[in-house]
Amino acid sequence: MLEINPDIQFKKELIKTSQAPLSKCMQCGTCSVVCSLAPDDKPFPRKEMIWAAWGIRDQLMGNADIWLCHQCGDCSTYCPRGVKPADVLSALRQMSYRYYARPSCIARMMSEVKWLPLALIFPVVIIAVILALAGTLKIPDGSVNYSKFFPHAWLNSSFTLITLISYGLAVYSLKNFIKDLRRQFPDLKFKGGILLQMLRSSRTIAIHTKFGSCSVNRFRKWAHLLVFYGFNLLLLVTVYAIYAALTHRYPLGFFNPFKILGNLAAFMLVIGLGMMIVKRLVGRKTVNSNYSDWLLLISLLLLTLSGVVIEWARFGNWGSAYHLYFFHLVCVWFVIIYLPYTKFGHTFYRLVAISVADAAGRK
Amino acid sequence: MSKPTKKPVLVIGGGMSGITAAVEIAETGRDVVLVEKDSYLGGNVVRMNNYFPKLCPPACGLEINFRRIRQSSRIKVFTQTEVKSLEGSRGDYRVRLHQAPQYVSDLCTACGKCAEVCPEEGPGEFNLGLDKEKAIGLPHAMAFPHKFSIHQKSCRFEDCGECAKVCTYQAIDLKAEAKDIPIEVESVVVATGWKNYDASLLEGLHYAENPDVVTNVEFERLMAPSGPGEGRLLRPSDKQEPKEIVFVQCAGSRDENHLPYCSAVCCSASLKHALTVQEKYPDTHIRIFYIDLRVMGRNEDFLERVSRNPKIELIKGKLAQIRADRETGKLEVEAEDIMACRKVRYEADLVVLATGIVPQLPDIDLSTGFSGFINAKQSSGIYPAACCKRPMDVSASVKDATAAALKAIQLT
Repeated sequence: MLEINPDIQFKKELIKTSQAPLSKCMQCGTCSVVCSLAPDDKPFPRKEMIWAAWGIRDQLMGNADIWLCHQCGDCSTYCPRGVKPADVLSALRQMSYRYYARPSCIARMMSEVKWLPLALIFPVVIIAVILALAGTLKIPDGSVNYSKFFPHAWLNSSFTLITLISYGLAVYSLKNFIKDLRRQFPDLKFKGGILLQMLRSSRTIAIHTKFGSCSVNRFRKWAHLLVFYGFNLLLLVTVYAIYAALTHRYPLGFFNPFKILGNLAAFMLVIGLGMMIVKRLVGRKTVNSNYSDWLLLISLLLLTLSGVVIEWARFGNWGSAYHLYFFHLVCVWFVIIYLPYTKFGHTFYRLVAISVADAAGRK
Repeated sequence: MSKPTKKPVLVIGGGMSGITAAVEIAETGRDVVLVEKDSYLGGNVVRMNNYFPKLCPPACGLEINFRRIRQSSRIKVFTQTEVKSLEGSRGDYRVRLHQAPQYVSDLCTACGKCAEVCPEEGPGEFNLGLDKEKAIGLPHAMAFPHKFSIHQKSCRFEDCGECAKVCTYQAIDLKAEAKDIPIEVESVVVATGWKNYDASLLEGLHYAENPDVVTNVEFERLMAPSGPGEGRLLRPSDKQEPKEIVFVQCAGSRDENHLPYCSAVCCSASLKHALTVQEKYPDTHIRIFYIDLRVMGRNEDFLERVSRNPKIELIKGKLAQIRADRETGKLEVEAEDIMACRKVRYEADLVVLATGIVPQLPDIDLSTGFSGFINAKQSSGIYPAACCKRPMDVSASVKDATAAALKAIQLT
């Protein structure tokens, strides 16, 4: 006897998040066929669509397949009923952050635009408190030197601490995610441990294989590659900068190789994010963009642009340099502390889901 | 009985429904003008190999109706004619008919001398381009009116003129011109019927590029004794008998990007096709891909017979992709077998798309509604019948045409 456990609340939330008329799906399977990423055995998203229509939360949350989708939108284009499977899978991914992230109230706050002012207050307060503790909560005199405003020791230690807490919370939520994934793959075994598997699987991510096989357009692949490498490069440069501040002179000169790398990364990010934003605003819309998509794009763009601007401000000794610096820090903190609760979390969930699918031999 | 001075009733469309309405009206003692745009009566039904419910050939129902028309002095038939304008109101409609040039007059005896000398050839109109035919000829074996006609696309007219030279009856006039015919009628039955959905619009199914991907209407011709294979089912590309046939249900139906509705007859039609093929070619393997099998009323019996047949597979899942191997030309179809939760791919010699019913409208002002079908309620005196109103099968169309006929004679 088949036992199903429909959750009407879950379905209502999914309809609200996806804006898709779930009950119109007639289970024809066109979506699974036109999807170039769906495996032959138990392909997606047709099965997800019936689970969605029934509100079967347990099948949809610990589900690797919703993360194998790269949202090209083919399924929505060809769907004969206008049910928009691509938007449904995207909504399920958003709901996963809310479902797994702890504390979940933060994820809930990040899911709606009406809570954005509150979400912005936290990084501002955190930075203000740190500055107050450091005793530098005022605009310094003389030529621009950001360390007079935010001493290196304070900056680096607080940044590192907050990043570690954020990543720690992300890893914690992933533990439950992996536990649920085992329902889909009961015989799951990682050869040499999960970390090694992730390392093996990150090869597909590094060259964006799956993005490439989404047949609709190459444009998305290149935009995502630029953002992906731009962001990781910036992370690397930041780590070096902390090391540099600890060991020798900081700030780095304009021609320092790491400085050049950082500027290159910022350039890549701006171009990539610009491509994504333009793509979402004009042209054929196969997938709908929602608050969580825009939140990630705009916060990353502001972070990058303000980073470049404060660099100019420093070299140009602008009067507004410290205000801009404060704004940049708010952007950085915003992205970092909300990382497990927003679309930014896809970096973790997708890596884990692809690793699990690889380990389970799902192709 | 009505007074003979009454104006006639106009019936637009000479298919099964229009013929039915015309003979029913005439047999009550009223005059009828029956207008048909093709050169013969019979519409879509005359193209079928066999039809519901008894799977008889179209000759069954049509012959008797043609006889009823022939025997009635009250039915005036205009072929190759369309209604150009319609003005007036209930009891008093002024209609302008436009008749295409009558190159072949009623003097024609269908002796066939003209076709023997005709040097030009074009795609066969009656067989939907699946074969070739001379520029002059009988549209098909049981054509009514039983006279030859000229195909404008392939005929060179006065540049050639061979046919006119050999015609013993002076029935051919290559200088004939179109004419407008004004008539006055009391009421109108609109029975313009349907055409099947344009399969070339179905992305992924590549109908236009592959000769062996055909529509269900074309498949009727492929099966028919009067079709291109003369009763042998041969696939269009290499004229071989197909061993693996795939039927694609809902090809463009129940699809917001194409026809949002269900045409109600295509499931039954494909089951009929499958059983007909199986009876004639028991070795043929048939796969029918469907979303839901919607067989109405007594046609349920066909579904049972199909389910019992081990050579016919019913697979739940809409067929969404057809690929042709570049080198061998072999077709491969792909769907999700939903019951097995697997993507499946099969090779096929012939793929039949069960395309849906699209309403055909006359060129006059009518109120239309859902997906372009004509609304049942029109200004009084105009009565739409059958498939131009909503999708239905032949027997339902006949009943609906009779109902429209009854309404049309109840004026004044």
